Amino acid sequence: MKTAVLIALIVLADSAGDVFLTRGMKQVGEIRTLNPRLLLSIGRRVISNKSFLSGIFFMAITFFSFLVVLSWADLSLVFPAKSLVYVTSTLGAKWALKETISSQRWGGIFLVCLGVALISLP
Amino acid sequence: MRKTILVLIPAILSQAAGNVFLSMRMKEIGNSHWLTLFPRALESPTLWLGTALLIVSFVLFAAALSWADLSFVVPAVSMEVVVNVVFASYFLQEVVSLTRWTGVLFISIGVILVLRSERQKGQRAREEILRSGQR
Repeated sequence: MKTAVLIALIVLADSAGDVFLTRGMKQVGEIRTLNPRLLLSIGRRVISNKSFLSGIFFMAITFFSFLVVLSWADLSLVFPAKSLVYVTSTLGAKWALKETISSQRWGGIFLVCLGVALISLP
Repeated sequence: MRKTILVLIPAILSQAAGNVFLSMRMKEIGNSHWLTLFPRALESPTLWLGTALLIVSFVLFAAALSWADLSFVVPAVSMEVVVNVVFASYFLQEVVSLTRWTGVLFISIGVILVLRSERQKGQRAREEILRSGQR
């Protein structure tokens, strides 16, 4: 039970991290330059963007809960379960970021999710 | 889409290479107490190189998100799992089971479908622009 709660937390925090990171980067705007000085000022805007920082915060939660759950649960259970993130991040992209997701894309994402789960089996 | 792929390929490769370096260094140390593990790990340039590569990979990932769909970038980046398995089998001489190779196949087909969906999306957007131009 404790393991299930933590895995749910990992999956949700990971997806929230992805969604906030994307929102932050979209607010900063498309990067169209390779000029170092411009890239530096874009970098400064990125690390002062609230959505981006929230994304980093959620990624830190993901990382630390992952370490915590590994202190008692097997990696071969946690890692396949973590592959659910591909589905939840896509749901986040659909609802929070209003991306349109075709059935072909959904099919691809399910295959990826299944493949990652298979790879992490012992 | 071409620009996204151009950014994501080095992101995937540097992530996989970073993991190989981290794994190499941690295996070198082997089983020691967790308190001594971190200071010992940090002594070696291999670990720093691995970490630097992971940071490069994250920066490229975030850059791609500044223009591309999250629902495209996340599954596309899952190709890193495939590259990790291939690198582990090739550079670290790990034995990879048939189940894992099946997983590699599933991910690869999945990524191809996602790439195709992105191309169709681009085509539809272009047709839309053409149609609004004719009006």
